[in-house]
Amino acid sequence: MKSSLSVMFLTWEFPPRVIGGISPHVFYLSKSLAKSGVKVHVVTCDFPGAPSHETLDGVEVYRVDSYKSPSPDFATWVYLMNLNMQKEAAIIAARLRDKIDVFHAHDWLVATAGIGLKHVFRKPLLVTMHSTEIGRRDGIHTSAERMIAETEAWLTYEAWKVICCSQYMVSHVKWAFGLPSDKLVMVPNGVNLQVYENVRKQDLKSFRTAFALPEEKLVLFVGRLVYEKGAHVLVNAIPKILEKVNAKFVFVGSGYMKDQLSTVVRSIGLENKVLFTGFMDEESLMKLQCCADVSVVPSLFEPFGIVALEAMAARSPVVVSDTGGLSEIVEHDFTGVKVYSNDLGSLAWGVTKVLLDEKYRNGLRENAYKRIREKYDWDKIAQHTERIYESVLGEYSKSFWA
Amino acid sequence: MRVIIFTWEYPPRIVGQLAEYTSNLSTQLVKNNIETYLVTYHPYMTGMTQEPNGVKIARVANPVRTHIGVLTWVLTLNQEVERAAANIYYQAGRQIDVIDVYDWHFVPAAVTLKNALGVPFVYSVDSLEDHRSHGANAPFNMAIKSIEWLGFYEAGKVTAKSEWMRSEIIRIYQTPKDKIQIITSSTSNSISDVLNVYRQAVGGGAKS
Repeated sequence: MKSSLSVMFLTWEFPPRVIGGISPHVFYLSKSLAKSGVKVHVVTCDFPGAPSHETLDGVEVYRVDSYKSPSPDFATWVYLMNLNMQKEAAIIAARLRDKIDVFHAHDWLVATAGIGLKHVFRKPLLVTMHSTEIGRRDGIHTSAERMIAETEAWLTYEAWKVICCSQYMVSHVKWAFGLPSDKLVMVPNGVNLQVYENVRKQDLKSFRTAFALPEEKLVLFVGRLVYEKGAHVLVNAIPKILEKVNAKFVFVGSGYMKDQLSTVVRSIGLENKVLFTGFMDEESLMKLQCCADVSVVPSLFEPFGIVALEAMAARSPVVVSDTGGLSEIVEHDFTGVKVYSNDLGSLAWGVTKVLLDEKYRNGLRENAYKRIREKYDWDKIAQHTERIYESVLGEYSKSFWA
Repeated sequence: MRVIIFTWEYPPRIVGQLAEYTSNLSTQLVKNNIETYLVTYHPYMTGMTQEPNGVKIARVANPVRTHIGVLTWVLTLNQEVERAAANIYYQAGRQIDVIDVYDWHFVPAAVTLKNALGVPFVYSVDSLEDHRSHGANAPFNMAIKSIEWLGFYEAGKVTAKSEWMRSEIIRIYQTPKDKIQIITSSTSNSISDVLNVYRQAVGGGAKS
């Protein structure tokens, strides 16, 4: 049955603007929702070369001025960007005259825009909390961090329902903001298997040679080079792994720890075994994921762990920290290997185990692929999300706002 | 006519001259049979009250308590201003004729309400960032100036307190001269000038 629902997504990133995991999440969720008949209007930040309005597989995408004037700091920029986003979203929503049923905000980065729109249009606001400040920073240490944490608390307070991508995040968000259980709902992240299938069909031998020698195993890390992602744990484990296996370690992504990490690599004389690629375009990244003999996700804090799911879709075996959402995605010894978080000995053990045993490696690949096909399909996730919208609108229709 | 005044200071919270000015203005408006609402900030005296002078006041606090500067404070407080104003709007049967916003602090809320609900606004200028910061052009000052610019651009009408201020607004923001009306609080007919500006803003600024 075709739905007549209409939702407005607010997100600070949407392809081609890709900063973290919110961008692919919103991209695939909106497309799958549109497929089942939900009208989705995405309001997001502009990006050089991307049109200010386009229709993508039924999804209306609006890119608004993301405030290019200099801002004193990142958090202030976020609030200034929200001012423009809210204004443009108000114009779009007003033009559709009562056609937006639900506002759906993705993370605190669009908190003020979402909260304002809720009140001026008197429509329900939903939020997906992709992460939290207290989790990212492992505690609150500065005024800026506290301000962001309080903004997150305010956003979850104003939201009708708070969606989290893992059971771990449900309990974390509930603890962080003191929310009642019935306000929280778990909807997993998904992964698009088809795009990886298409990449796998290509001959990637010559592509691989740009990253590793044929006799080297390829160990891949994908993520921002920031503390919470634990790249430093993998860097510190490299000598231990090299004692047993000949491998090349490729780090994709950038972040404030990049200089520090390359200094460590230089000082232990492993420049010929480690490659920092910086940010990589999506096509090359998918190819590299398909080439990886093992994908490592050594996060210290991980709300979900989409990169592990992507690696599994690329049929790369995974070694992950037993933490956060990763604990739920990976079944130890069956769909991947789980190691102790922030423990280089344990990480080295896991990586070595996978690299030394080809049969074991292939078993993990097959089991993981089967599992994600059952559980992390975007169409199923979109249907689940649509049911949440419907139940919220059912409650809303009995309220004095309706 | 039904009017909402936005001001970041109002008695008993007095920071500068705006508190007294908006208090006198709202009293005068009620005397002229204007249904007058006012939305302002107070750290804890929140909610709707009716003053002895007949003005209905909604005070809002900032849901985010910790801040790194006046910009983040203002840009989070605006959603509460929007909420209070939207509550007035819906309770009044979706009919607010004009919003009168004093200085840049609540310009974001006025802009959203205009674009979302079609309520026009008057931007009343007491002072400008260029003068307050002695022409400083640091990112912080430029951000405030960008909000002031948004106010001049989106407002149906602008009021200034002197000929000099009007020329400064034109110099810094290139606002059309006929968009700016001078309201001097010293003249006895200033309230009728204010009402004139309101009427022009309601009519899209076209009529005089």
